[in-house]
Amino acid sequence: MSEHEIDSPGASHEPDAAPGDPEAGEEHSIGAGVRNYLIGLGLAAVLTVASFWAASGTGLLYIPGIPMALAALAIGQMGVHLVFFLHITTGPDNTNNALALAFGVLIVGIVIAGSLWIMYHMNMNMMTPPSDM
Amino acid sequence: MLGKLTWSAIPFSQPIPMAASVLMIVGILALLAWLTLKGHWRYLWKEWFTSVDHKRIGVMYCVLALVMLIRGFTDALMMRSQQAIAFHSAGYLPPEHYDQVFSAHGTIMIFFVAMTFMIGLMNFAVPLQLGVRDVAFPTLNAVSLWLNAAAILLVNLSLVVGEFGRAGWLSFPPLSELKYSPGVGIDYYLWALQISGIGTLLTGVNFVTTILKIRAPGMTLMRMPIFCWTSLASSLLMVAAFPILTATFAMLLLDRYLGFHFFTDTAGGNSMMYMNLIWAWGHPEVYILILPAFGVFSEVISTFSGKPLFGYRSMVIATMAICILSFVVWLHHFFTMGAGADVNAFFGIMSMIIAVPTGVKIFNWLFTLWGGRVRFEEPLLWALAFMVTFAIGGMTGVLLAVPPADFVLHNSLFLVAHFHNVVIGGVLFGAFAGYSYWFPKAFGFRLDPRIGKAAFWCWTIGFYVAFMPLYVVGLEGMTRRMQHYDVAEWHPWLIVAAVGAGIIACGIALQILQLVVSIRHREQLRDVTGDPWDGRTLEWITFSPPPHFNFAVMPDVTGAEAYWGLKQKAIQQHRLMDLPEYKPIEMPRHSPTGFIAAFFSVVTGFALIWHIWWMATVGLIGAFGAIVGFGWRNRYEYELPAAELARIDNERRQARIALVEGRVKWITPVRHSDIQAHGSRRLGWIEEPLGGHLGPAPKRIITAYGFWIFLLSDFILFSGFYAAYAVLAHATAGGPTAHQLFDLKILAIETACLLLSSFACGMASIAASVRSMRWTQVGYLVTGVLGLGFLGLEISEFAKMVAMGAGPQRSAFLSSFFALVGLHGLHVAIGLVWLATMMAMTWAKGFRADIMRRGLCFALFWHALDIIWVGIFTNVYLLGTSP
Repeated sequence: MSEHEIDSPGASHEPDAAPGDPEAGEEHSIGAGVRNYLIGLGLAAVLTVASFWAASGTGLLYIPGIPMALAALAIGQMGVHLVFFLHITTGPDNTNNALALAFGVLIVGIVIAGSLWIMYHMNMNMMTPPSDM
Repeated sequence: MLGKLTWSAIPFSQPIPMAASVLMIVGILALLAWLTLKGHWRYLWKEWFTSVDHKRIGVMYCVLALVMLIRGFTDALMMRSQQAIAFHSAGYLPPEHYDQVFSAHGTIMIFFVAMTFMIGLMNFAVPLQLGVRDVAFPTLNAVSLWLNAAAILLVNLSLVVGEFGRAGWLSFPPLSELKYSPGVGIDYYLWALQISGIGTLLTGVNFVTTILKIRAPGMTLMRMPIFCWTSLASSLLMVAAFPILTATFAMLLLDRYLGFHFFTDTAGGNSMMYMNLIWAWGHPEVYILILPAFGVFSEVISTFSGKPLFGYRSMVIATMAICILSFVVWLHHFFTMGAGADVNAFFGIMSMIIAVPTGVKIFNWLFTLWGGRVRFEEPLLWALAFMVTFAIGGMTGVLLAVPPADFVLHNSLFLVAHFHNVVIGGVLFGAFAGYSYWFPKAFGFRLDPRIGKAAFWCWTIGFYVAFMPLYVVGLEGMTRRMQHYDVAEWHPWLIVAAVGAGIIACGIALQILQLVVSIRHREQLRDVTGDPWDGRTLEWITFSPPPHFNFAVMPDVTGAEAYWGLKQKAIQQHRLMDLPEYKPIEMPRHSPTGFIAAFFSVVTGFALIWHIWWMATVGLIGAFGAIVGFGWRNRYEYELPAAELARIDNERRQARIALVEGRVKWITPVRHSDIQAHGSRRLGWIEEPLGGHLGPAPKRIITAYGFWIFLLSDFILFSGFYAAYAVLAHATAGGPTAHQLFDLKILAIETACLLLSSFACGMASIAASVRSMRWTQVGYLVTGVLGLGFLGLEISEFAKMVAMGAGPQRSAFLSSFFALVGLHGLHVAIGLVWLATMMAMTWAKGFRADIMRRGLCFALFWHALDIIWVGIFTNVYLLGTSP
């Protein structure tokens, strides 16, 4: 359809951006783009190193808290990738993209948490020895 | 050379399968001969097989579904007749054949009748109702159709070559594991459903994108017909649920083909994890089926009551609530498996809660009928029968949602009666309502109403006679899937049930007769106005059958019930709206991509079932070639000139004049509606501005959004594998543990490679946005080299583990580890192949708009692989080796 051929945002009045495109409307110079990716890379590297450090059994962390620390760092780093590499933002032009992501995250959460809860209960209830689980 | 395939695969010694095979082959040969003699091949190929028109694709889906309905119903007749005579006797079906029959019946009816029919109706009606010319990705839509057809071919092939699964329609392990099902039956089942699952997923992606991004100007979300809303919900569920099925089947395939231990009863495998995962797909699946049917009923009830739908907003909310809630009830399919009271109670209560939005809908339909000018045409009859039948089925469902009751009724014929009650009374009646409702739109003539009503009564009465007895024997303790029995009380009920199946058979025969008679009498049944039912939604504004471009000009939508509003205005003013300004439009060219890709997927599937590895390779390369060939072509659209559109549209306007003046003989003359009882603000003919919606989004947004939806489904695929890993991580079966295996130094290098590669990909995107060919290619090259480095490290890591006896066959822990990490590696490998093709394409064709769109999708994909890797390196490797 010819009216779709226009490859620039703004053909529709509702603010809308393609996922992966930097924010619409704002003119992005090459420098700003590169800077954005560099910040993303830097933050990702810091969080990665932090994860390795947390898992190395440093005395600074309470040992039973390590899984929680790792999960938090992972979620933080996923957020960094989403914002700086995939350009998903909370802006009005990204509502659709963020909503779709929220739906996906909800299902991922339900599948993982639900499976763990159900299977854990099942194993407890059936008194399967843990080594055999 | 031919793997496991020998002459013994053909069931010469078994009379019933052999006779069925011969009959099927003769039938197909006769059909092919007739087509050849009549010289229809060229027409079929040019107009149908290579078509990317959503209406033709929809029709082909429905044809497939109707053919498979006959196949699945034949299985049903065999089961009912077997049980009617197998009291104190062996009946006529030996157990191994009976087991195949009930497995095939369930598989076919759910995947290839119910799913296929609903997707067919969605394909046909959704773009028309949205007032647009096609779906978001027309060629992809054809791929979905033909993948579905490929799966159907494989399932039917199992009748002639080999056997079908005997482990029920969901193939539960451990019975479906290699140890207990060494034959090819389960492999036929698994590969056929994997192929059709990909098709369904792509349909879901396509329709979510279409409905959210491509609507006529003014068609805001809250002005969409309810069928579009339910199709959106159903498509969202396809996107969210089907990856779980794919993951589960992939695990079972790994068990069967490569000796993994996900669900085996040795080395720490856990077959209960299969139940958990498959029902996490299975419950949303029933809503994937029923939601579009709800949409059909909403359209039909509103149209034939001559009233806007009562409680439109509550209908939308109920639909979307079901869409979410359907993901938190899956355990009710296995209350008896041994979870504790807390878990059972939670899922029992959620299952009762999900009945509430459904109840809301029933009341909405009742109040729509209330006070309307009800016309008892065939579609409405199906809708009325549905309301009664579905209410009964829903209530037995709520009963089964009570865990203690479920302990009594689980796996009994009561359950069988319940789900047939909702699937036949809901989905199938919905399919038939949609079929008779949209048939005149699709073909330009109505179906014969008298025979249709006779078929309706046979189906409805037959349904009650066939399934109410099953509730009784279920309460009397009869379990499902019995090949013979010796309880005297059951016998009369099962004879009655068989009679019911016979009555349904009459209904099907009448439906075939109806089709034949209607085609012969098509001139008397002709729909000249395009609006045979006094419709309210946009599909009725165009011709019957609609031209391939649907609308010469996209309609301007000024309120809900877009067409009703325009029609009332025209009738009031005794004239059609002013002649619009016609502009040339571009339509997608026909493409054989779908057909060719599906052909190669049949080759691949068949080869994998029979372990013919060279042939599987050929098939995969062929399918890949078909897709690259499609991507490579230069002309993918053609232009329709404005003059041509004006000429065609003028014919439509002439036909419309008769409608406006009320000169059409078989429909109730359209009057200016005086019904404004509820929600008059929603009545379409109250003019409102465009509501901020200016029509379809630009192509770049459409493509990237569709790919984004696909990526979300990919995340869900990974979540299935990750859930399996998390559950099985401690099942080392005495073998090596994570502490002994994972090498964090290599992990650090791998992670660095992937992060830097993502950065390089970002640089390439920037270079492409300023059209610098050299830096784009350099960026992509660095991306690829770093990705290759990651992959090389991972492969060497895997090889080292396998060499030290810690391969995936060692324990369930290692199986799930290799599968999860290997799946990510597979994604990287696919990404590298994609990258190479894209580099070549960019080099050869420059920064064309479509290539830029693909570049954006690739960047999304490559960055998303990082996100998944973040989950893996922290929660698999680091967590596994932490103190």
